[in-house]
Amino acid sequence: MISLRAMKAALKQQSIHFFVDPQWIIPSIIAPFIFTTVTLFLFRHAGGDLLLYAVLGGGVLGMWGNTIHSSSWSIGYDRMNGTLESIMVTPAPLSSVVFGRCLWNAFLGLLNALAVFIVAHFAFAIDVSVRDPLGFVVALFLTLLSLAVLGMIFGAFYVVTRASSAFFQMLEFPIYVLSGAVFPLVILPEWTRPFSYALPATWGAEALKISAFTGYDSLSIGLPGALGLTALTTIVYLLISFQLFTYLEKRAKVNGTLVRY
Amino acid sequence: MNNGNETVISVKDLTKVYPAATRLLGDGGKKKLAVDRVDFEVRRGEIFGLLGPNGAGKTTTIKMLSTLLIPTSGKATVLGLDVVKDAVKLRPRINLVSGGERGLYFRLTGRQNLDFFSDMYRVPRERKKAKVQELLDQVGLGDAADIRVENYSRGMKQRLHLARGLVNDPEMLFLDEPTSGLDPEIARETRTLIRELSRKGMTIMLTTHYMFEADELCDRLAIISDGRIKALGSPFSMKESVRNDTVIEVEARDIGEVQRQGLAGLPGVSAVSMEFLEGRQLARMVVEEAGSLIPKVAALLEGRKVISIRVDQPTLEDAYIKMVNGK
Repeated sequence: MISLRAMKAALKQQSIHFFVDPQWIIPSIIAPFIFTTVTLFLFRHAGGDLLLYAVLGGGVLGMWGNTIHSSSWSIGYDRMNGTLESIMVTPAPLSSVVFGRCLWNAFLGLLNALAVFIVAHFAFAIDVSVRDPLGFVVALFLTLLSLAVLGMIFGAFYVVTRASSAFFQMLEFPIYVLSGAVFPLVILPEWTRPFSYALPATWGAEALKISAFTGYDSLSIGLPGALGLTALTTIVYLLISFQLFTYLEKRAKVNGTLVRY
Repeated sequence: MNNGNETVISVKDLTKVYPAATRLLGDGGKKKLAVDRVDFEVRRGEIFGLLGPNGAGKTTTIKMLSTLLIPTSGKATVLGLDVVKDAVKLRPRINLVSGGERGLYFRLTGRQNLDFFSDMYRVPRERKKAKVQELLDQVGLGDAADIRVENYSRGMKQRLHLARGLVNDPEMLFLDEPTSGLDPEIARETRTLIRELSRKGMTIMLTTHYMFEADELCDRLAIISDGRIKALGSPFSMKESVRNDTVIEVEARDIGEVQRQGLAGLPGVSAVSMEFLEGRQLARMVVEEAGSLIPKVAALLEGRKVISIRVDQPTLEDAYIKMVNGK
């Protein structure tokens, strides 16, 4: 069951939290600035696509962590506040609430990316023009949304235990590697491919690169193909997360673990 | 205010066992029986209380009835709906308010909190703004509506909790220790508000470990201890149950658990409660007949610094002690 009203309310709530809670300034504004600055400093002598790749890898893709964390932390935050039960006693499905927050997190990632490009352009005078700007923005938003949904799957485990974060932080870096965001997929061992192809972020990263670099299409699927596969895998993950929420909510109600923090 | 005999909560053999926690290292502890084959009914318009010591099973019971916990066995219906099978249909018609500092979004204002929960309950959009303002005014937070909750006092937070519990105009309101930790004045205000809600026809079920609160608010109450219901009835009938008993009250300076157990073991003593005051202790024994017992009490406490031994009439609290701790 999905509640559009709960999603909208959660998105609004998350945006208010962003503006009133100073702790979000660090991951959303300061961290992107540092990421971009360090990356651009390291690659300052490179030119052309390599520099843009550095901006993408170190800057934009460096924001993935923020999207995953803020989405997976969504339930953790309610647990900490003691509001998890207050939500679960309402008719609104918890998964809709979390998804609404994920939409805001993905949108925020888009704003972060804009900040990265502004820093690169104005502070380092780098030409950050991409081949297909509209395709790039769509690819970026879809990628961030897919990561938010991945964060939602992680976050579902917060319903049953407060100890989720340590486990998922361990999984985070392998996801960056497997998705081809940090290293090109072709240099990874063959046996890792099925894992890579199962990740929406892989297709999102591919769409980003296709729309950014002239002549890039390593998997020969084109921008529509990459965008389509990002959307498809994201929907699959979203459906999995909804099912997971249903299962884990039931488990938490059997075990009585909703209020422990 | 009891509006009639319509049953709105029906509980039969309700049991909750918390499974042993799963841990990577260690055995994770044991299963815990929190509620053990409980039976009771609540009628429309009643204020029904669950009274008991900490860990008695009160909160577990109220959480099962408000769909936050799944019972291990037994059956419970609220407003004619099964709390497990019909949870989705039931939730719009009930609400739960827990006591304490937590359970609100501290970075948001009171109004933003209520706005969010109104959306969770799908309060009609055209009604929402007015409804939120109405609730804020009702709980006396109209002037503080746009202040962040982190700046609220404990009492203001509790009033906001209550307002949150009313956003969907519930037919059945569950209150889990609504005055716990509040200062006396705020607690009194909260009780007044609960009575007002009851007067308007709302059915209320609350948990408390304050005897006087149960006495003041509840039409009927169940005394629960170790997961079992020890007594069920009106506060008056509970007092009546100790009407023929007497209380021996001993005030001393150096008695403890050993002496309490000794007193509890005397023939004719139904229950003993012990209160630790500053530099002295007060033991109250519920007994059938005081005259013959006083010499035995004095003998048992020989060598202790006894200040006074006196005979008293039993109170509702003595009835509660007898039901919870009695032989």
